[in-house]
Amino acid sequence: MAEAAKILVVDDEIIVIKSAERVLSAEGYHVEGALSGREAILKMEQNNYNLVLTDLKMPEVDGITLIRWMKKSKPDIGIVIITGYPSQDTIKEALELGIIDYVPKPFTPAALVDVTQRALEWVKGKVYVEEKPKEEFPPSMLNELDRIIKEYKNKPGCLIPVLQRAQEIVGYLPPIVQKRISKGLNIPTAEVHSVVSFYSFFTMKPRGDHNIRVCLGTACYVKGIEGVLSKIREALKIDIGETTENRKFSLEGVRCLGACGLAPVMVIDQETYGAMTQKKALDVISQYEPTILKSTASEEIEEEIAEKEG
Amino acid sequence: MEKFRANLMLCAGTGCVASGTMKVKKALQEELRKRDLDEEIKIVLTGCNGYCAEGPVMAVYPDEVFYQKLTVEDIPKLVEEHFLKGRPYQKLMFKEPEKKTAIPMMKDIPFFKHQVLRVLRNKGLIDPEKIEEYIARDGYQAAAKALTQMTVEEIIKVVKDSGLRGRGGAGFPTGLKWEFASKVKSDVKFMLCNGDEGDPGAFMDRSVMEADPHSVIEGMIIGAKAIGAHHGYIYVRAEYPLAVKRLQIAIDQATEAGLLGKNILDTGFDFELEIYQGAGAFVCGEETALMRSIEGKRGMPRPRPPFPAHKGLWDKPSVLNNVETLAQIAPIIINGSEWYRSLGTEKSTGTKVFALTGAVNNVGLVEVPMGIPLRTIIYDIGGGIRKGRKYKSVQLGGPSGGCIPESLLDTPVTYEDIVATGAIVGSGGMVVMDDNTCMVGTAKFFLEFTADESCGKCTPCRVGTKILLDILTDITEGRGKEGDIETLQDLGRDIITTSLCGLGQTAPNPVLTTIKYFREEYESHIKDKWCKAGVCRNLVTFWIDEKLCKGCGACLRACPSKAIVGEKKKPHKIIQELCVHCRTCYETCKFKSIRILPAGYESGPSELVEVTATEGETTKGEA
Repeated sequence: MAEAAKILVVDDEIIVIKSAERVLSAEGYHVEGALSGREAILKMEQNNYNLVLTDLKMPEVDGITLIRWMKKSKPDIGIVIITGYPSQDTIKEALELGIIDYVPKPFTPAALVDVTQRALEWVKGKVYVEEKPKEEFPPSMLNELDRIIKEYKNKPGCLIPVLQRAQEIVGYLPPIVQKRISKGLNIPTAEVHSVVSFYSFFTMKPRGDHNIRVCLGTACYVKGIEGVLSKIREALKIDIGETTENRKFSLEGVRCLGACGLAPVMVIDQETYGAMTQKKALDVISQYEPTILKSTASEEIEEEIAEKEG
Repeated sequence: MEKFRANLMLCAGTGCVASGTMKVKKALQEELRKRDLDEEIKIVLTGCNGYCAEGPVMAVYPDEVFYQKLTVEDIPKLVEEHFLKGRPYQKLMFKEPEKKTAIPMMKDIPFFKHQVLRVLRNKGLIDPEKIEEYIARDGYQAAAKALTQMTVEEIIKVVKDSGLRGRGGAGFPTGLKWEFASKVKSDVKFMLCNGDEGDPGAFMDRSVMEADPHSVIEGMIIGAKAIGAHHGYIYVRAEYPLAVKRLQIAIDQATEAGLLGKNILDTGFDFELEIYQGAGAFVCGEETALMRSIEGKRGMPRPRPPFPAHKGLWDKPSVLNNVETLAQIAPIIINGSEWYRSLGTEKSTGTKVFALTGAVNNVGLVEVPMGIPLRTIIYDIGGGIRKGRKYKSVQLGGPSGGCIPESLLDTPVTYEDIVATGAIVGSGGMVVMDDNTCMVGTAKFFLEFTADESCGKCTPCRVGTKILLDILTDITEGRGKEGDIETLQDLGRDIITTSLCGLGQTAPNPVLTTIKYFREEYESHIKDKWCKAGVCRNLVTFWIDEKLCKGCGACLRACPSKAIVGEKKKPHKIIQELCVHCRTCYETCKFKSIRILPAGYESGPSELVEVTATEGETTKGEA
């Protein structure tokens, strides 16, 4: 689990800070308040925050000044403004300075939570985008792709097979691959994308070296796949549809794999593993990557031993 | 041909392979070689045998001895006993749960005894990658007969008279479908096979495609002749790589043998067959959506009429049949419609394959005559409920189907009788649930599936399933309110009447049937905040009954949040503040001393409430 996001609420009215604190901490965020721009700067110099929610009209150091200071000294912290006077000019100025969003006062709890969530995602996303390697593929891969496009071109109904082959080669279907296919087959990019997004088999995100597919069929449900899945999620620290940071594993939930006799079932790459328990699932995964699960696995084994002794 | 003293039919279906067939095969080969038996005894890898839960399984012919749960370690002993000393090896045989006596012969094992094999006629008997073996079992005789001796009208008549109905779910008469398409005049027509088996809990089509791919191809050749198609596709899920591989091998071999392609068997009839891999969308099991998908587009259904028999794939007349339906065709052609009708009921004739899974002892693929009661399938073939627990319901027809309670277990399995219960026969997924299953949670599980798989074309289905799911989520998380049940029912009916395709028309079935038969469970979730199965975490409190607790400490060690305290040999206690309601203690306790009480229950359970504790024996069956 990631650490709770830290949020600083800056407003000269204590009631605003209090209510924001109440609403946001209920959502699991860590919330602190500052009654003036000056206090906020002081706090930011001492602590790390993910997001700052600030009023614009404040005595002494006002909101705009605070945002200017932050852009210079703390560029990584996301900024959302809360204002009772959303005049076009101030908003425009703030937007030019690079705020993420604004909440008009008075606000409903739902609106505040909503904006906060989106802003935090944006902050997270920005970091992620910067880390992401450039989408460049070796010429051999592209040549192979072109060869397939040529092979299928003019065959009616060729788009899905081409996408399947492309995904086999590239591993996923990023926009640049879709565009190449669209051009090669003379099918509008929008149509290519509409097909990619419709079928669950296609993915636009890169997959890990090993793809773990957990069966979410009925038989597996009845026999407890949910527990197994949550254990895997916990161990790999990823959710369905995500890839681990080191690109080792990606996790997928699939409708029935048709191996119900062995429920609960998971498939890693092409290998099917049946009759999974939480422990067995971790054992299997650690065959692929021994280090990743060490801490969790050893704990489990200890428990197992304790149980046997008992 | 070489002659062998014995044939070892080792199952290489997906299930058994996952359980270790390939390792067992290697061990067997080595052992036979070591003992100089490799020229007398032949190992054959077959398709799915159906008895997946006990895999890897192997049948020895001609003795018909059946071995299960093979391990590499057991192989030397097995070879020594059976093939050197001639004594079948008891340790690996099927044993009756109570008596523990070994049953050597396959035909005596209850799981196989009640089955009648028509679709699965070649199951475990042939190597699916060799056309000669299919032909040796009378394969392609029906195709030859249909192509050389029968007129189109005769083919359609025998299929119509047989009463065969589509095994994919809706049960439309196959012969009628063929007749419609046959009468339409067009230079191009298509014969299609639906292998996009999407229902969670169903795997009979996968098994047929893997174990007997030629039977599907043969059915398609006959169908193509009947409707006048010269081109066909088999649409297979990409999740079934083994099925795709075996079908491709089968198509290549059939083409080589002159059974596919131009001028089949010198009759002047042409039929080309291709595999088309699906890309994972449940709705593509619907015929118009599947055809859109083959066209390379988003697989969304369209209104009918026009029916595919008039305007199907690329607007040409097309017939789409399910894998199992096609596998039924060849025997009908050979043996006639009377023979086919000899099993089943007036309106539901012949046999149906079911994928029996969930909380039963014998999990696997079963083929039974239509009309036999559910009870026979679950108790006689399935061997009753796992670990001696109590039966709660059986889910038929996947996300389109419904849950059938104990009181209706004597319902005969026919299209009509099952529909009357609110479920559908569907493709044949049969998931048995015991008293550990929460029915509201089950309904929610299916709605998660349909809400996710709704293609989005019809608003009632796209938005409606989402609202149903939201209400069910609220109920299972303790936010249920008065009137929710009625909303679910009203909305459910609306979705059924206003959706275009089978997905939306059936998506509310799991909700409606669970309300119909397990309404009190919904009510206790909403009013008492009590999930009696102990599944919904927010709606339960776990207590240890001090009278029953022996202080063995099993729960204390199993508890992941260290919420259980107590000294050895003295009753333990759950610290409610630490309890995360994970059920671990409930499943661990051998003395049934853990009680499931409503959320927020505060005093001890001694004076309390009738609790749905397990009545069966926990020691029985597998531990």
